[in-house]
Formats: sequence, C-alpha cells, structure tokens
Amino acid sequence: MAQSFSANSHDTAALTARIEKRWAFLMVSIIALLVAIMIFTGLHWAMMPPSRVETIDPSTLHVSGEFVESNLGSAVEPNGSVTVRIVGQQYSFTPQCIVVPSKTPITFRVTSADVIHGMLITGTNINSMVEPGYISTFKTEFERAGDHLMPCHEYCGVGHEAMWANVKVVDKDVFSKMAANTRRLTCDL
Amino acid sequence: MNGDRPRLISLRNPWFTASVGAISILFVFTVFVGFVWLPSAQNDALFKGLLNAICSAAGVPKAWLSEASPPIQPKTPVSSVVLTPDMLGGASSGGSIGRGATLALRCTMCHGARGVSAANTPNLAGQYAPSIYKELRDFQSGARTSAIMAPMVVGLSDQDLSDLSAYYASLPRSNAPPAQQVHSEPNIVATGSPMRNIAPCGSCHGDLATKLGAPWLGPQPREYLKSQLEAFANGSRHNDISAQMRNIARNMTADEINASASYYAGSR
Repeated sequence: MAQSFSANSHDTAALTARIEKRWAFLMVSIIALLVAIMIFTGLHWAMMPPSRVETIDPSTLHVSGEFVESNLGSAVEPNGSVTVRIVGQQYSFTPQCIVVPSKTPITFRVTSADVIHGMLITGTNINSMVEPGYISTFKTEFERAGDHLMPCHEYCGVGHEAMWANVKVVDKDVFSKMAANTRRLTCDL
Repeated sequence: MNGDRPRLISLRNPWFTASVGAISILFVFTVFVGFVWLPSAQNDALFKGLLNAICSAAGVPKAWLSEASPPIQPKTPVSSVVLTPDMLGGASSGGSIGRGATLALRCTMCHGARGVSAANTPNLAGQYAPSIYKELRDFQSGARTSAIMAPMVVGLSDQDLSDLSAYYASLPRSNAPPAQQVHSEPNIVATGSPMRNIAPCGSCHGDLATKLGAPWLGPQPREYLKSQLEAFANGSRHNDISAQMRNIARNMTADEINASASYYAGSR
C-alpha cells in the first residue's frame, strides 16, 4: 500500500512537472509573440509621427515666443523645409487657412491656448491631440496639391463643431512665389 | 512534514530561478525595445543617441526646434494681457471697489453715472472684471485703438485698472429684460454656422458658456456691437488674442452681423 502510494505520487509529480513545463513554454511563447508584434508594428506600422514632449506656458502664447500671432502660419526655413505654426483655441484654429507646398518636408507645430483640442488632416496620418501646455510637433510631406480639412476632433466645448481649418497644399513653385512676398504665409481671407 | 518540502522562494528551487530569471530577462529586453530600439528607429536627430532615445521615450520635455528661424515680431501692438482665472487676485480683492468708483468719475460722461448710458457706449455695469481690465490694458498699450479711450487711460496704473474693473463689475446690470426673453435667438446666436467656422455667440459670451476675457453682451448698444463686429471682420480691431474673434467675424455675413447685434441690443 505504502509502496504503491509512493510510486503513484512519483508519477503524479512527474506528470505535474511535464504539464507545468508545457504551460511555461506556452506562456513564454505568447509573451514573445506579443513583444514581437509590438516591435513589428512599432517599426513598420507606425501610424503616427513620433513626438517629443515639449512644454510651453499656454497663457502667454500671444505675448512672446514662437506662437505670437505675427509668427503663425507657414515659414520657409533656411534648409528649404517649411514650419507651420498653429494655435488652437475655443473655437478656431489660427490661421484658419494653412497653405503648404507639396513635395517638401513640413514640420507642424501646434499648441492650444485654453483647453484640449485635437487636429486631424484628412487624407494624411496627421492626427494629434493639441493640449494646453504642450507643443505637438510632427513632420510630414504632402505628395500632391489639393485641399484638406482640418477639424478639431477632441470635444472642446459647446462651439466645438464650428472649429476647423483648411489645409491647402499647393505646388512647390506656386508656394515659392507666394513666399517671396511675406515671411509667414497663410491663405486666410 | 513541512520541513521536508523544498522552500518555494529559494535559489535551490529550479522553478523559482527559471521563472524569475525569465521575467527579469523579459523585463530588460522590453525596456531595451521600448526605450532604445523603437525610439532610435525614428528618422529624426532628436531620437538619435542612447540618452536622446531614452529621454524621448520617457517623455522628458525638451525643445525640438532649436535651429528654427527667430519669431517674427508684430508690426502693430497686440494684446499683451495674460488671462488667467486668478488674474485680478481672484474674487476676493475687496477693498478696490470704492477706489474704482472714485476713478470712474472720469468715465461717467460717456458710460453713465452707474455704468449704463444711452450714448452708444458699452454698458459697463455688471460686465466681467477681466473683460474690462483687458480692454483698458489694450487701450493703454495701443493694441486697441480709440481716439476717445486712449487719452482716458493715460497714466492709470495697473492697480487703477483693476480697481475700475472691480467697480464696474460690482454694479447691477441694467434692468432691461434679458434679450432672450424678448426675442427668440437668431440662428447665428443659437447655433452659429458650423459649416462656415462660426461658433454660436453664446458659446463664449454667455447663454451657453463663458470664456475668460469674453465680455457679457446683452444688452449692449446695437451700433456699438455692429461697429465692433465689422471692425473685427476687416481687421481694424485686432486686440483679440490670437485672432479668436476676427476668425469668427470675418466669416459672418452682413445679415448675421445685423441679426446678432440686434439680438444682443435687445431690439430688432
């Protein structure tokens, strides 16, 4: 009796160990698969341009710094790229009409003066929250000329539905002609 | 019996060493993936280098565009008033109302003895203090131009402006019936025109919601409201912070300007 019990117990222990090993193997495989998915999507399917956290005082945007009204809009940088600065506020984007050249590296710099807004440029992967206190930066390039809408897609108050802007992508040479006259470009009325 | 069983948490327990070891390796590897590998894959100088990659993934604030061209300074003065909820010392700055009343003697010839007048000047009684303060500061700095107001604010200190604002804010609003009880709201006031970038007036100016710095509008003289909307629309008035009012007024039709001015004046 005692012997058979001991033999039985030994069998059970071996069986348990085998099952445990299989489970451990399965779990490790699942975790490895999840990590692999994370790496693959991070490298190849990244929808969003990366962003670095950058802070700014939202109450003094209009007083000094790069978001003063006269500095908003598209600026041609010495290296040929274009920087677009936008302020979101209840309930409009300034500038309301953004003009950028096609086939040119574009850097968007957007921040909010009051509450959390969002910006999304239709037909592109530009989609970001616009938060007071932080600057959202992303780089992109438009393939061809055309018009895009840029709605605020983060509920920002009772006038939210009226908050949107136009993004006009124009040909490179058209843009450079426009840029000859002024240092900050918009297509506001 | 218990003493015979191997201890669970012990280096001699192969299950323990294997599982903790595996989790540690996994942890180190995923930290490497998240803080070094994926950030470094970004095609931007700010993500290159070990420290930059780690800091960017950890969310350490850093200026992105240090090489950008310097900001263009405005050609004409713009509003430099910093609007914050506690800008005038909050609601508790009590003693200044009396001083404000004395200072306000110079305002009475246009704005009435108690902040209400029939002279087509804005009614100031019961106006929000931050809104009055902001306009006074803008008249002083030249961000808002007015041949009448500019000489009136010369020499007033910041404290004077706060006291004046507190005084007028403390006065009772004119007892004309609220506009919304007299007329139904025109569309431009009730819903704005979302398809043309126009938020409802009431989303900042009361009725629906208020926004710091946006004045209370009703009742105000019709002529005043109309002229200011037109001035915003053509850009001759530009002391609204980051063009928030110009953006709206520019898109309004003449009819909408008339309708909203009439509504807030309480007469059609």
